Amino acid sequence: MFRLLPILLLLSFLGSGCSFVLGRYTSRALGQIVEPIKPVEQKATAPVRDSVRLAATWIGHASVLIQIHDKVFIIDPVFSNTVGMLAQRAIEAGLDPSVLTRLDFTLISHLHFDHFNYGSIDRLPKEGRLIIPPGGTPYTPEFGFLETIELQTWEMQEWDGVRITAVPVQHFSGRYGFDIGWMGRVGYTGYVIEYKGVRVFLAGDTGYHEEHFKEIGRRFGGFDLAAIPIAPVNSRIFSSRVHVGPEGALQIMRDVNARMMLPIHYGTFFQGMEPEPNFAEKLLLEAISEQDVADRVVKLDVGETRVLKGEGGLGD
Amino acid sequence: MMRSGIYWKAFLLLAALDIPLFGQEASPLGWTTPGWIWYQTIPGMSWTAHDAGTNYALEWEVMPLLYSFGLTKRATPWKMLFTEPPARFTGSVEVLIGAQLYTSEFRGSHWGFSGGVLGHVPLIERGEYLALNVGAMRRWIAGAPHDFAVGGASTLFGFIEYNVHYAPKSEMWVHQVGVRFF
Repeated sequence: MFRLLPILLLLSFLGSGCSFVLGRYTSRALGQIVEPIKPVEQKATAPVRDSVRLAATWIGHASVLIQIHDKVFIIDPVFSNTVGMLAQRAIEAGLDPSVLTRLDFTLISHLHFDHFNYGSIDRLPKEGRLIIPPGGTPYTPEFGFLETIELQTWEMQEWDGVRITAVPVQHFSGRYGFDIGWMGRVGYTGYVIEYKGVRVFLAGDTGYHEEHFKEIGRRFGGFDLAAIPIAPVNSRIFSSRVHVGPEGALQIMRDVNARMMLPIHYGTFFQGMEPEPNFAEKLLLEAISEQDVADRVVKLDVGETRVLKGEGGLGD
Repeated sequence: MMRSGIYWKAFLLLAALDIPLFGQEASPLGWTTPGWIWYQTIPGMSWTAHDAGTNYALEWEVMPLLYSFGLTKRATPWKMLFTEPPARFTGSVEVLIGAQLYTSEFRGSHWGFSGGVLGHVPLIERGEYLALNVGAMRRWIAGAPHDFAVGGASTLFGFIEYNVHYAPKSEMWVHQVGVRFF
């Protein structure tokens, strides 16, 4: 019986949807190796500006540069062409880190390769602080920042008027796969940044958790901007608990009471499970149209900087 | 046959239940997970080239102590038995003890033992993609000690390593391919 087990497992695998999904994933993974990385026509060369209350630059995937008044924040910075040695970019990073003359805060939402990229962090200015998720310390090299701070869920710290709070989201821990077991339910977070009357919610990477997001909305009383992931979308098989699609992202925007949403975590790296390229973007545009929220969704191109609250500008 | 079946059932069950034994939110002693303990039973491989031929062996290693100099200053640099991968590949020195099971008799015995110190120097992506290994190891083969210089590399997030051991006195070479489950 036990000798037949591998054969039975193989037959059941071939007869199930698994082989189809794995086959599709593998063929796309191999296909992407020869795909050229699409260049960005207009990279952000001056993302930090004068007279700005709130501005955002989408570097690609979950990497976002945010300026609030005179403070500059970068979230989940990734500039490399591959992450985790395997996944390749579809489009190059929208910002060269050499244009950043200073950074006040570098925030890491969780430990996965596409969010916590050691080589990319090495290329950043180090005068500011590095904020890491709960449980992130044993996975954090000494990068040379002024200070490294591990925030626990709902913990808030303040520096020079900037308040940063770690808030709960729903994702999964670990970095290498099998370390999920020993890490437990830590290693991922969202953040809230508050500075001079501007409030920004950063969801990092998350599934939908109604209680968490409504609580965040209640505690902070609304946000000027929420950066929320919208992919991978084909989540019925693998990721319904840990990722949201565009519909879920818009629901989070409403739950946390954000005036504007910046969609992130799409269109940058190979997403092997999606049925077609730009699938998340397509669904997002459909959802925006159906829900009539075009004025609340700030959809940026890779490398684009948008002033969301300037002196007398949009959003005032 | 039956005992083998029970073993594999237990293995699959425990690996599937790879959760902290004491039910903490995060296990401060990661090695307390049954999955981690089972991973440690997976052996590395080595082959030893010497004047009388080549012997192949399965190898198991234990890390009693590691000092990491690559992690953030917030982190404790000392690790015992278990370490998170970055503590090793971002730069560290570790003590290793090991046992070898030779597939054929090697100077009258199937067993060998080893102990030594191995350093890891990060080369690419803080060592996550590639790290250099340098160290010294004493191997007891059929009860006789042999001192080896060790050099090699780790890749794929520190999971795979290849080290060459050379004993100048006995002119013995050991090629070691290891899979690290930390």
